[in-house]
Amino acid sequence: MTCVILVLVPLSALAQRGTGPSSPDFSGSWERFRGGPGQSREFIPPQAPQPPLKPQFLKEWQAKNQAAREADAKGTPLATNATLCLPEGMPAMMGATFPIEFLQSKGQVTVIEEAFTQVRRILLDQPQKAVDDVEPGFYGRSVGHWEGDVLLVDTIGVKENVRYQNVPHSADMKIRERIHLVSPDILWDEITIEDPATLEKPWAYTVAYRRMPGYQLLEYICEDNREFADENGLQKIRIGPTEK
Amino acid sequence: MKLATRAWQAGLFLFFVAVPAFAHHSFAMYDHSRTITLKGSVTKFQWTNPHAYIELDVMEKGAVKHYSLECTSINMMQRAGWRSNILKFGDQVKAVVSPLNSGQPGGLLLELTLPNGKVMEPGVPAANTFTRTPEK
Repeated sequence: MTCVILVLVPLSALAQRGTGPSSPDFSGSWERFRGGPGQSREFIPPQAPQPPLKPQFLKEWQAKNQAAREADAKGTPLATNATLCLPEGMPAMMGATFPIEFLQSKGQVTVIEEAFTQVRRILLDQPQKAVDDVEPGFYGRSVGHWEGDVLLVDTIGVKENVRYQNVPHSADMKIRERIHLVSPDILWDEITIEDPATLEKPWAYTVAYRRMPGYQLLEYICEDNREFADENGLQKIRIGPTEK
Repeated sequence: MKLATRAWQAGLFLFFVAVPAFAHHSFAMYDHSRTITLKGSVTKFQWTNPHAYIELDVMEKGAVKHYSLECTSINMMQRAGWRSNILKFGDQVKAVVSPLNSGQPGGLLLELTLPNGKVMEPGVPAANTFTRTPEK
């Protein structure tokens, strides 16, 4: 009897209000967790490996990164999607550069990233479509289901020009996620990217988040972007007096 | 020696900045090796995303020179205590700025002293990689 209670107490602490009979509650605001002074190292995920790209894609990726580094060192950075104020899309938005929010409702888990007000819908307990039946987008189509305390998510249909860390991928890329609490206030998203066309093997890495009690996500609209790409693909900025 | 120092600073800069630069705007168009200190009059506080801007008129050699100062996102600034009404037209401020490499009259705001003496930082990522030049 004593043993049963010892097992049940920690599980019940994790399984707070959710939408399933026992699904844990991810609702609320979270910030990226990378540890820090006084923080336990226990919940800091291992460092992400380099993407295991096939040789021809690896060469192209490294060359682009090198060009970006050289342009930065010269003080003339290359324009990127960020220069154009485009949202990050999947899986980059799960990197939570700005805080993220999870909303759990019947049949759906919604993830909002504060930067660019990015919204991602994870449809629960629905079959995934064939990739040809999904119109490519920034977030793709995500379906998920609970396995115990773990939310398993499968995403397809991410546009080829929507890239995480500049890593190329094909239209057939699949993103698998295992989202689960590792402590009451630390959430892990174990991400595995599968894309046999560009990767030698799946690329797996984990990001961690810490609860931000009481934090409400702020509005983010690219209202006036003064950075732009010039005719040489370099990042420039519009300066000078504006209307008073 | 100076070249070696600059190279070391560039390496340090890349170490801290290379990964975040993938995700958001690069600040590499600003000179990381020096700062300028501007004292002037606010003509506009542009409170918008992706980044806020402070427009500043500065008296230099008997004439007004206008500077555009890039800040960070208004989300980061709000988390650091800024508000849209913290500055108004005509406010006299002191700004520590990393100047544009291009030589244009603009820069990245690192630190702002408000008329009431309060010092605000906009939360530039890896702000410690910008070498500060003592105020003249």
